Amino acid sequence: FATFMGSVLAASSPPPPGSGVVQGAPGLVSVPPGFSMPPVPPPSVPGQPAVEIGSPLPNPGTYEECHRKCKEVFPIQMEGVRLVVNKGLSNHFQVSHTVTLSTLAESGYRFGATYVGTQQTGPAESFPVMVGDMDNTGSLNAQVIHQLTSAVRSKIAIQTQQHKFVNWQCDMEYRGDDFTSAVTLGNPDVLLGSGIIVAHYLQSISPALALGGELVYHRRPGEEGAVTSLMGRYTGNNYVATLTLGGAGAHATYYHRANDQLQLGVEFEGSMRTQETAVSFGYQLDLPKANLLFKGSVDSNWVVGAVLEKKLLPLPLSLALGAFLNQKKNKFQCGFNVTVG
Amino acid sequence: MSAAGKKAIAAPGYGVVEWISTACRLATDRNDFRRNILVNLGLFAAGVWVARNLSDLDLMSPQPII
Repeated sequence: FATFMGSVLAASSPPPPGSGVVQGAPGLVSVPPGFSMPPVPPPSVPGQPAVEIGSPLPNPGTYEECHRKCKEVFPIQMEGVRLVVNKGLSNHFQVSHTVTLSTLAESGYRFGATYVGTQQTGPAESFPVMVGDMDNTGSLNAQVIHQLTSAVRSKIAIQTQQHKFVNWQCDMEYRGDDFTSAVTLGNPDVLLGSGIIVAHYLQSISPALALGGELVYHRRPGEEGAVTSLMGRYTGNNYVATLTLGGAGAHATYYHRANDQLQLGVEFEGSMRTQETAVSFGYQLDLPKANLLFKGSVDSNWVVGAVLEKKLLPLPLSLALGAFLNQKKNKFQCGFNVTVG
Repeated sequence: MSAAGKKAIAAPGYGVVEWISTACRLATDRNDFRRNILVNLGLFAAGVWVARNLSDLDLMSPQPII
């Protein structure tokens, strides 16, 4: 079951090849997961002419993943009570039942199913992956992810609200040796002549530096437009700094792994269109010996939040408590999640 | 002449005071976009400094014996 879940998680956000903990000989630095050391050129043999071997640049990963490491440190706002029961029926198939009780959102029941295929491309990656869930009103969310070739991956996602199609998109991603490019087609409507095309490109300039860009083109009857943005990401020994600049505004994130227990993230967002800026500071405390995970955040809009997750071993039970307080607007929100399986 | 001289001496002083009052007004105007950007960039830099220097936290370390 752990292998199954690993396949699902890996399929949704695959790590770039070459990353992971590198255990070298005694004396060498061990790198935390998610980071890669710059490759060391082999020593030249005396007496032979020195041949410069170009170190191959690593694949930089996908455009969306650049800010993700910092975003994952921050707690997610929870409201109401949620009970999730996960049941693995086989190595390839899993179902989940979710009951939500809430005052702000709709309360209800959601049934989810996940299928992972038999085409194994890596130690924790299998394709195709099909994920779907439907709630008691008939609204459906479904995704199909498939590895077409060793370098090309495709994804189709559909979202409906009861019987009406709200979102439908298809994207294709190509992973080269030192670059990643992706094209996404969103809500294409041939009859109306509308749709959105998003193109991403990310190139490794050096083992630590990756630069890329995004182009979004949207079209509706009587109107069309395009937005571009540029991104730069620098990966250090235990930190990642990412900056995105575009017509809409600026987004900067800094992720720092202080030690095995503590990870920190700082995020800056600024929008010229809405004339607003915000800064958030978040941290994550991971204590696997205590089966505890704590995330906290504070931001410039006077919002303080925290989420505590605790595994109640030996039961296959996980408890999450979350609370958010907006000091400026004098609003408080708390939530409680229980996950079984 | 003396009045003009006094005015000349007062003008630079008055300019500095005006500059300081403009800067104070900018610093306290929460609706000003430039001010908000500067404040938030400073907070971002402070957050990065805290993140880079907060590395000696160990919650599982044994309690010190007094």
